[in-house]
Amino acid sequence: MTVAITGVGVVSAFGVGTDALFAGLAEGASGISRIRSFDASTFPTRVAGEVPVPQADAAWLAGMLGGDGTLAHELGAAGALRDRKIGFGLIAAAEAWRTARCGAGDRGASLVIALGLEQAFLEDVVPIFGHDASGRPTIAWDRETRAPGVRFRSPVDLCARSIHAWLDLRGPTVVHASACAAGALAVAHAASLIERGAADLVVCGGADSMVNPLGLGGMCRLGAPSPRDELDACRPFDRRRDGLVIGEGAAMFVVEDLARARARGARPLATILGWGSTQDGYRVTAPRPDGRAARAAMERAIARSGLGADAIGYINAHGTGTPLNDPAECKAIHGALGRHASRVAVSSIKGAVGHLMAAAGAIELAASLLAFERDLLPGTANHSERDPECDVDVIGPAPRHARVDAVLSSSFGFGGQNASIVMGRPA
Amino acid sequence: MTRAVAIARTAALSAFGPGARGLGRALAIDAPLPGIPAEAPLATPRARKMMSRAAYLAARCLGDLVRELAWTDEGEHIGYFLGVGASGGSLDDFLALLDESIVDGAFSLHRFGDRGLAACNPLLAFQLMNNFTLCHGAILEGLGGPNSAVFSRGAGTIAALAEAVHAVSSGECERAISGGADAPTHPTTVAELAREGFVARGLVAADAAALVALEASPSTTPDTTIIEGCGIASGRGRPIADAIADAVAATRREPIEQVDIVVIAPWGPPAADALRSWTAGRFPTATVVSTGALGESLAATAALAVIAAADLLADAAGPRRAIVLTLGVDGDPGAVALSRSAA
Repeated sequence: MTVAITGVGVVSAFGVGTDALFAGLAEGASGISRIRSFDASTFPTRVAGEVPVPQADAAWLAGMLGGDGTLAHELGAAGALRDRKIGFGLIAAAEAWRTARCGAGDRGASLVIALGLEQAFLEDVVPIFGHDASGRPTIAWDRETRAPGVRFRSPVDLCARSIHAWLDLRGPTVVHASACAAGALAVAHAASLIERGAADLVVCGGADSMVNPLGLGGMCRLGAPSPRDELDACRPFDRRRDGLVIGEGAAMFVVEDLARARARGARPLATILGWGSTQDGYRVTAPRPDGRAARAAMERAIARSGLGADAIGYINAHGTGTPLNDPAECKAIHGALGRHASRVAVSSIKGAVGHLMAAAGAIELAASLLAFERDLLPGTANHSERDPECDVDVIGPAPRHARVDAVLSSSFGFGGQNASIVMGRPA
Repeated sequence: MTRAVAIARTAALSAFGPGARGLGRALAIDAPLPGIPAEAPLATPRARKMMSRAAYLAARCLGDLVRELAWTDEGEHIGYFLGVGASGGSLDDFLALLDESIVDGAFSLHRFGDRGLAACNPLLAFQLMNNFTLCHGAILEGLGGPNSAVFSRGAGTIAALAEAVHAVSSGECERAISGGADAPTHPTTVAELAREGFVARGLVAADAAALVALEASPSTTPDTTIIEGCGIASGRGRPIADAIADAVAATRREPIEQVDIVVIAPWGPPAADALRSWTAGRFPTATVVSTGALGESLAATAALAVIAAADLLADAAGPRRAIVLTLGVDGDPGAVALSRSAA
């Protein structure tokens, strides 16, 4: 059985739609901007790969989804759309469903989605915040449950439940929560369900937004974002790299058996040939510097694909632009691909759209479709100075024309979870 | 390659106390449950700064399990698939952050960025990231195989177990650990469960971690409990009995005719009624045991039920089959089919 991607939907810093992502990457543009959705003026970093919509509210979502707007207005009335990933995931899933030409006969589909953390609604907590007799800050939890409109945080799985309801799916839902590796793991899980006959069709991918006060602030406290408050803050594989830039958005796919897709007239965009996951088992705060576990994930994915390492024509790297990730990833690439590693084109789109966290692996697979759709390999925004520690063929800011038949995409999560996927050009 | 997958060992931290042996029997006879030892929570400075309570419970449970197994030289190849709950960071840190961010009774973004962020533990994000419920233990025990953290309010833990079983049966790894860990007594989660009406309908939150160690095994090996399959189904917008039937049907290719033991894992009384009613209609002669006395542990409950079923199968004489039926607060039922051949 061959697993095919037959639909794709994207919301990114380039705007709504897969076409917007493809156009931005084809131009070698960057979607990184000053944060507009909230006042970040006192935050350590004030730039992000923000989806260019200041208010992702009910009216906006209803317009994007079409229909009678009931779901959008229900979510809006509950205050849920302040968690921007919910709207992004819905819009991307709807586009994937539409482009896969799915209909009523496909509603038995399963949903496997990667979602980021709950968003804390700090402003809601203030009315129930106070101090106890000893002056210690406290929260009146009994009031939290009764106060209308008070929501400490959004539910982790609300985006999944909303997509399930919007597409009126009948199959089960699985939510992956593996940080930055979750998007790739969700797609791999979906492919596995198809391959072993546990599902006929799966809607899969990821949605996330850390472009909110606690999300951005928490990452800043960790020291992960670049300290430079510039639009070129993220410079993957560049000698001057000093950190990531936060992104937000969603990428969703429809995957199914290739024969089934052809039988119902759907156009395969790519095949999912192999996948693999490993764990660093190393440190909470840093990846394994020798890239050993990341290499093993790549090797598992390549082995499962049945291809030789030399069949890989392009690598869409995790490429966070952090001092530790990029050289470790290059070591992993060299380990997994051997002598072929120096010949394969490598790029990271994180300089252009930011780090989408739970959705990173999904949007990077979507970006990799450009290689099959337009014979174009996405560039690496802001990469200009080669780093001897990152000795792979990094594509510069402009995309590269090339015809490749197999792509390797990797994602590595905080905490040491690694996932790699091999996609192939559909015959 | 498709191989039978056996439960090699189990471990748990729950209202039953530390340990898994005897859990099924204790539930079957309504034995008194001692609860998690009081000294357990976040005892060390390292744990305090880096771990949520769920992560701590998972790491401690994993440590117990690994110490009892003879797998330590293969950690790099052992899979780890875990059902995890919502974020559960320290409220002290969060309140300190909030305290610095309020100006004239209102939340100030300006002040939050300027002073609030600096008031909290810089490692708070590691407590909040729910995949660290998996990662802390993996790091401490050196696990390096295939993995995933699946968010769970019930069925997600069965999905994680299904991936672990598939990883072993397909030969992706020889051995894997799966289960769930959660800390629903966190005030944020308790408030959410109350707001959603679960507390009023009888839900009793209880922290827990529960893990099963899996390995490939010939299905005919005596005294071995085999996981025949796992299934989950959507409970949205249809009769729950139909959804339970779908979850059970998804566990195996062939219909299940005979079941000796059914362990139900309901979030509370209404779910228990639904599961008992379905079981009475489908497997009327089966012995039914409920995890209800353990309280509802969200991501851990389904794994506790699997451990209880394995425990009861091990106690029984002759070949036996058990089914675990779960119905968590997500409303999506899950099922696990287990069997044990005669000694």
